[in-house]
Amino acid sequence: MSATTLDNPLRAGIRLERTTEPCVVVIFGATGDLTKRKLIPALYRLVQERLVPAEFAVVGASRTEMSHEEFRARMRDAVAQFAEGGIGDEQVWNSFAEKLHYATLDIGTAEHYGPLAELLTRIDAERGTQGNRLFYLSTAPSLYSEAVAQLGRAGLARSERGWVRVIVEKPFGTDLESARQLNREIHQHLDERQIYRIDHYLGKETVQNLLVFRFANGIYEPLWNRQYIDHVQITNAETVGVEGRGGYYEKAGVVRDMLQNHVFQVLSLVAMEPPASLDAEAVRDEKIKAMTAARPFTPERVRADCVRGQYGAGAINGQGVPGYREEEGVAPDSATETFAMLTMYFDNWRWSGVPFYLRSGKRLAKRVTEIAIQFKSAPHQLFGQEMMEQVTPNQLVIRIQPDEGITLRVAAKVPGQVTRIRDVNMDFRYGASFGVKLAEAYERLIFDCLLGDPTLYARTDMTERGWELVMPILEEWAATKSDAPFPNYEAGTWGPRASDDLLEKAGRHWRRP
Amino acid sequence: METRKQKDETGVAVTETRGVDVARLERELSAMWRENVEESEGTAAGEAGVTRVCVANLIVFAPPVEGRDGIDALLEEVTAHTPCRAVVLLADADADAAALDAYVSTRCQPGPRGAKQICGEQVTIEAAGRAVENLATAVEPLLVPDIPTFLWWKDIPHYEDKLFARLVELSDRVVIDSASFDHPLPDLRRVARLVGEHPRLALSDLNWGRLTTWRNLLAGFWDVADYREHLDRLDTVEIEYTRPAAAPDQTAAQALLLAGWLASRLGWELAAAERYSPANVEAETFRLSAAGREFTLSLRAVEGAGEESSITVREVRFARVGGEAEFHTRMSRDQTKLETGARVGGAQSVGRVVSYEARTEGERLSREMALLARDRIYEEAVAAVVRIIESPRGS
Repeated sequence: MSATTLDNPLRAGIRLERTTEPCVVVIFGATGDLTKRKLIPALYRLVQERLVPAEFAVVGASRTEMSHEEFRARMRDAVAQFAEGGIGDEQVWNSFAEKLHYATLDIGTAEHYGPLAELLTRIDAERGTQGNRLFYLSTAPSLYSEAVAQLGRAGLARSERGWVRVIVEKPFGTDLESARQLNREIHQHLDERQIYRIDHYLGKETVQNLLVFRFANGIYEPLWNRQYIDHVQITNAETVGVEGRGGYYEKAGVVRDMLQNHVFQVLSLVAMEPPASLDAEAVRDEKIKAMTAARPFTPERVRADCVRGQYGAGAINGQGVPGYREEEGVAPDSATETFAMLTMYFDNWRWSGVPFYLRSGKRLAKRVTEIAIQFKSAPHQLFGQEMMEQVTPNQLVIRIQPDEGITLRVAAKVPGQVTRIRDVNMDFRYGASFGVKLAEAYERLIFDCLLGDPTLYARTDMTERGWELVMPILEEWAATKSDAPFPNYEAGTWGPRASDDLLEKAGRHWRRP
Repeated sequence: METRKQKDETGVAVTETRGVDVARLERELSAMWRENVEESEGTAAGEAGVTRVCVANLIVFAPPVEGRDGIDALLEEVTAHTPCRAVVLLADADADAAALDAYVSTRCQPGPRGAKQICGEQVTIEAAGRAVENLATAVEPLLVPDIPTFLWWKDIPHYEDKLFARLVELSDRVVIDSASFDHPLPDLRRVARLVGEHPRLALSDLNWGRLTTWRNLLAGFWDVADYREHLDRLDTVEIEYTRPAAAPDQTAAQALLLAGWLASRLGWELAAAERYSPANVEAETFRLSAAGREFTLSLRAVEGAGEESSITVREVRFARVGGEAEFHTRMSRDQTKLETGARVGGAQSVGRVVSYEARTEGERLSREMALLARDRIYEEAVAAVVRIIESPRGS
């Protein structure tokens, strides 16, 4: 919570929601897809929820020449189309639209920043936004560094009387060196506390619930270690293909696109030690500590513990879909991986010897992201093989999307004269238990940034550690790309057979989500 | 035994069995669940069965005038947000003959896009005459263990009533609605006393919930650093309200609660009462002080179309003399929006329009069921308004 709210005696009481300080949100890339699909709908939702004050404004900035009115009209269409509740009350929209402004700005042109600064000063005077600025870089990644440098040179990276924060979208670099370079360049103008590297997975309710689930319940944490857990599976599966982004994806692949950021963030929350407090730095310290203990990949380990895949033609939900190499913008002999499976180990007391199996891919059988904690079998088989044949060890499944919830699989006696045992699920579903719509990830994350809470954002060391871990994989796969047996899985399946084989060799199998 | 099944137009399935005694209710409920599951297994693809969910016990006490239909409709809304076991008590203590009758039903809400239906369950007990006295003993065995229990006392709390006292003991939280008070100030005084005498009692007031948006917006002014200093230098605070339907000659409970909240949070004390008369509540004005500085609080009744509405506060204004600063929050005529404005010195007014979501009683009740801890801010607000308004009368 910000300092001003603490100083407000009327804010006392847990039933009053947090609201942000006055500020202006400046969106670079205001004509882009993310702005209309996610950012403006999220900001409008914050307004509808009364989570931002009256002293609030949004400035869209982009190269396209446009008036304030044209920008307002475009954003109105965007909200009508993409916000879940649409425009809602016209007066509420009009009140929000008055706070929308537009600035024509080419990121690389220094002369464009003077008029932007003047506009922001004018908004401060008219709307009482008090010099607080949030710059949202929703641009091509190649422009992040330039945008920050221009802000710095124009004096916009500091505010005389308020704060300046910058949200940087993913991808944060394309490899370890580029990530380090980007960090160096950004740090020339901004302190780390001003930088908010967004990972929208961390905005999801179930991901946040991981902290609560692990550390607010007394019964799980004692079991959360090598003594009781056999292995962990993290599945991040998409049914979509590259959706017209073949050009981008060819250079990225699933390791860069999903694993080293989203999946590693989730992984760190599962593997971390309890933080001393919920302070952002305390939480982020524990996350990086866990990831530092992750065993590095060597070329041998890549060959033994990792699997890459690329989808061929197949069917999703009964509809035929083309293979990756037939997608627009994709080379017919592409060696880009659309599926990756990693076996990770943490060399520390808690997790020694416990494999973490991670898989992420496109065009898989089902859209799902989940964490499955597989506990060890009961130490003594009291009930005998015949009775136990339908029983698998206890499993705790944390579903991140869709249908957010938590399931614990336990063995139970089938009613009857003889003892038969079967698995049953104890289910908690957000939708059923709370009956509320979960907030969009962007809504939550932007709100946190406005509050100055970086807990759910990635810190420099975490982004670089992610790259450090995956670089040997990317390098090994690049060196052996001609050996890649692509395509090696059919669209609509759970990835290449090798992924199943790798678990089966260890006497385990992938859960079918 | 009589069994009735129905599905209304909203898709809510209700199965009822009447004529069973209280001890058999659990068995009847179990049978109904089995039947629901069997029925759902026989449905077309897309209706994927039922999930029995129970996150709380909800005891509803209602006087006979309430009738079952209104409560059933309300519980349908509650189930949609907070699936629970509801134990509805319809009590007629004045009846000559003692009687105790019970019904059980399951209450299902269709899940989104073919997902499982979410089902809660309801036990309704009708008690008459002397049977009312022992009603609490019938309730206790029906509560699902290890989950929170809420008592919704859908009446003015009868604090000396044995039944109320027993039910309070069974509950983690008691929900009342001060909008229904026919003597708001004396009734709030009784609430204050109840809270004082039961240190473990957590109390919810639906009427306080209606003020949450108001309080949030009013507090929002002082989140702004440039405005903050004016909070300690106000000269006038005005609260306008429409007369409550339940007590047309009284000050609205909402206005009292809002005044109490401001007083408790800002340390207001009575300096002098210039005027207070419950029989003439056009404008009550109080001379208050805080941190050695005096100012005026006015509670003003205004004509309005919303007399039947549960939203009675119309406008709140804070001002410094000479137009140095003025802050207001005002309800729109159609009661769907709140408009705020802040003007300091000669600057133009900064404001906004936000929606005021008119929640149903069921939705408000569900929101209260998300809370367990005592609401000390509410308790202090009630205590403060009673202290301020009652002081001159007692002196």
